[in-house]
Amino acid sequence: MIKNPPKRALRFLEWFCPNFLFEGIEGDLLEQFDDDVAQVGLKKARRNFWWNVLRFFRPAIITRNNYKLKILNTMMLSNYLKITTRSMMKSKLYSFINAFGLSIGMAFCMLIYLYVQEEKSFDQHHVNKDRIYRMQSRAYDDWQKNKGDIYDYMIYLQTALGPVLKEEFSEVIMSTRYSNGDEGVVSFGDKVFTETLTYVDADFFQMFSFEILEGDKGTLLSGQHEVVITRELAKKYFGDGDPLNQVIEIDNEGSKSYTITGVIEEPLANSSFSYNMIIRQENRPYYLRNNENWRSYNTPTFIMLAESTDFKSFDQNLNKLVDKYLGETIAKWELPEDLPEDFVPFTYQYSKLTAIHLDTQISWYKSSDPQYALILGAIAILILVIACINYVSLALTTSKSRRVEVGVRKAIGANRSQVVYQFTFESIILALVSMLIGLGLMWLFLPAFNEFTNREIDITAANFLELTGIGVLISIFVGMLAGSYPSLVLSRFRPAQVLKSNFSAKINSGFTKPLVVVQFALSAFLIVSSIIMYRQMEYVTTKNLGYNKDQIVVIPTQTGWNDNANKAVKRMRRALSHHTSIVSVTGTSSSFNKGTSLYGYKINDIDRSAYVYAVDSEYITTLGIELKDGRNFDPNLTSDTSAIVVNEALVEDMQWENPVGEYLNWREDSVGLGAKVVGVVKDYHFESLERKIKPMFLSMDGYLTNLLVKIAATDIPNSLKLIENEWRALYPNKPFDYNFMDEDIDRQYKSYSQWMKIMGLATGFAILISCLGLFGLSGVNALNRTKEIGIRKVMGAELSNIFLLLNKQYVWLALIAFAVASPASWYVMDIWLSDFEFAITIGWEIFAISMLAGLFVALATVSYHAIKSALINPAETLKYE
Amino acid sequence: MPLINLNATLFGFLSIFICFTIYIQMQKEYLGEFEELILTMVAILGEESYGNAIVQEIQERLDRKVNLSAVHVTLYRLEDKGHVKSHMGGATTSRGGRKKRLFEISNAGLALLHSIQEQRSSLWKLVPQLKIAGV
Repeated sequence: MIKNPPKRALRFLEWFCPNFLFEGIEGDLLEQFDDDVAQVGLKKARRNFWWNVLRFFRPAIITRNNYKLKILNTMMLSNYLKITTRSMMKSKLYSFINAFGLSIGMAFCMLIYLYVQEEKSFDQHHVNKDRIYRMQSRAYDDWQKNKGDIYDYMIYLQTALGPVLKEEFSEVIMSTRYSNGDEGVVSFGDKVFTETLTYVDADFFQMFSFEILEGDKGTLLSGQHEVVITRELAKKYFGDGDPLNQVIEIDNEGSKSYTITGVIEEPLANSSFSYNMIIRQENRPYYLRNNENWRSYNTPTFIMLAESTDFKSFDQNLNKLVDKYLGETIAKWELPEDLPEDFVPFTYQYSKLTAIHLDTQISWYKSSDPQYALILGAIAILILVIACINYVSLALTTSKSRRVEVGVRKAIGANRSQVVYQFTFESIILALVSMLIGLGLMWLFLPAFNEFTNREIDITAANFLELTGIGVLISIFVGMLAGSYPSLVLSRFRPAQVLKSNFSAKINSGFTKPLVVVQFALSAFLIVSSIIMYRQMEYVTTKNLGYNKDQIVVIPTQTGWNDNANKAVKRMRRALSHHTSIVSVTGTSSSFNKGTSLYGYKINDIDRSAYVYAVDSEYITTLGIELKDGRNFDPNLTSDTSAIVVNEALVEDMQWENPVGEYLNWREDSVGLGAKVVGVVKDYHFESLERKIKPMFLSMDGYLTNLLVKIAATDIPNSLKLIENEWRALYPNKPFDYNFMDEDIDRQYKSYSQWMKIMGLATGFAILISCLGLFGLSGVNALNRTKEIGIRKVMGAELSNIFLLLNKQYVWLALIAFAVASPASWYVMDIWLSDFEFAITIGWEIFAISMLAGLFVALATVSYHAIKSALINPAETLKYE
Repeated sequence: MPLINLNATLFGFLSIFICFTIYIQMQKEYLGEFEELILTMVAILGEESYGNAIVQEIQERLDRKVNLSAVHVTLYRLEDKGHVKSHMGGATTSRGGRKKRLFEISNAGLALLHSIQEQRSSLWKLVPQLKIAGV
């Protein structure tokens, strides 16, 4: 008789133990309990019983609850693996087509993953990243009105703001200004180069976690004439020598000596900051003047807040700051009546350091739009889907060869779920193999991808492991997705029917057609899009801009924003004038794509604005700009220094009937009439084609910081050498830096052409993969119809009849696909083109060209099998009947 | 930033672990010491081999204390590998009327035991036949 074992222990056992095991285990436990009671007594036996029940609470028992797990653990897995390899080896072409497509798709996915990770890692390496903020302003802006937002957001703030914040606010522990981009001429001994300068405050190194290689982090830039340089620069100037305490000359609006007190590691690829040569903000040109002037917005500012900052009171304090320093200025602003109730003319705001990179409201050096990641991801998924469709349609059309296998499996006792499991397993294995190839491909593509996306992504041990994980995840997902439908179809075979030798029912080839249409539609979408992108890029690079940009060398005069610049242009012109290979020499305040200056002014109480280019009298002739009315500047007329030449857009803006002789009071001169208009030029594109041609005028009153030299088209290297020699003779201590104007202009469209290349690459692969799939598919179809073709030929069909018979369906599929894809690509490309003010129109011919191209490629692909099977001697195919 | 993305890394490890487990699962021919012991016990006990009987038999013959749950788990594993077969039967009062899960060695299991024994003895022959000191 059983002497009550612990009931609760038994209930616990029943709860976790699989039903079919429960009785055997419970019996054994009770038996042991019975023995125990006899040997050690009831109390101890009960304790032992509990302990033994607990010992059964282990994975091997708990998870052992079903049939499926048992299958996983049996011999079948290795059998499946064996069959998978065999069937892969048997149809090498199809395996190759599948693996090729999938591996490229996966390589793309992994690249996108790397890209997204890189984007997310921006500025994450700073220890204080959660406490560092970038200051920005939100100010009322008249000009913004028509954009829908009455505010303008700016990161360029007053020079004095940083120190004031640190001084007056207890929340602000540190602050630094960060002005990057000024260029200065740096010399050490006989080494003279132009370098980009970065003006910061001493807190810069305390706030951010940049790696200091040499020098004392705590005291860097504590003196005004100290400089910190990067590792590369140290090498450039000092080779292997010790850079510390060396003295270099930096010339930016006046030359000064600086002592190197630190060497800093190069900025990381995923850092929002760039720097070369870091000096104190106080050395910035016009520092004192800017520091006094709260109306001059000229430098970004970063602050680090205390951990216990109360943001509400911080905001209030910031508002008080606005009142204190800007109250008077703002009071003078003329604000319109129709303003919203919560209107605040000017506020300081701040955004987190880590949010800078993906901020789309305010652009920052290297900042990017998260949309790009989405587009890239969409492209990768597109390719993966095309590859999956290949797998599905090939698996379906070749299923004939597998059905006997399925029949035998089922006949010896496999149930349907096992067959489904087998085929899913097979496709997962294929996906895993593709993943391995994809990893290799990704490694191959990475340098090109980096170039396209402007990133410096590296593969490290850490992200390699991540990638493998992601790859396995994608493989399993893709394997299940692509394998599910074929395995469902294949597992449906009835053994009795299949194993009868004359079973020849067609299976489900109907469903492959919609798949091929989808696949073709995706490819067609890519084809149309990339053709439109290509046409647009061709348009922007070859469009007549209204001036001649060819063979013009642009040389910065590097003499500062002063009269010396104009002298430099004159001296160079004199020096070069007797050379026949030099066509003409001129100067301008800003060469194309090297900055513009926009002036706002008020005439008759209406706000207007115009772009201003300081030029000399040779400018219009050198660039071949067409004069529409009036005359060019005359160097001999002193009155012309205050005259201007305007463009048509300005004439229209001012609504002048007879522009020549009118006056434009752009300096808001209260005494005089302003500048006299002496000529009108035809509108030309001084900005990129993304923008409309705005009002602009040329003036002789300004500094020519860029020297433009037009050279003859013959023997460009020699002409360059010539210019360099003359430059060196005149300015031995200034570096000779030059660009070609047409290259500068093309650079405006760099990001577009990068996107075009990515699209082109994706399109190429998409077409390749879908063509491979089509090739396989048409092969299988031709094979399936061998006998039919034989009979037709015996009955007298011509080669062309057979060709038509086999290809007709693909032409239809391609046409349907195009009909589906065209509206979609038209819609998407219309959005893309809206970035440009000057864009091509999407006409029917683009679709016609893409369709013909697509059709041609598709036909070329399927023709191989069609012709091959049409040429077979019918005697060969029919002799077994 | 964290040096590596934790989730993805964990996933990487997990997938490697799964692959490893599958690999281990596929290594069917290898038998552990404990598995071998249990298999031998099943062979010895014949008709009357079930969990508790094996525990007691080992206790009696080898003076080795083994846990019932370990024996059960091993028996199931051996069943997966096809070395033993099982059926229910033979309820007794001391078991509260519960049936036993009775195990029986399969031909494959027996063949495996044989081959292990042969391997052992052929290896033993290669050991230099030294006398144990004091005997």
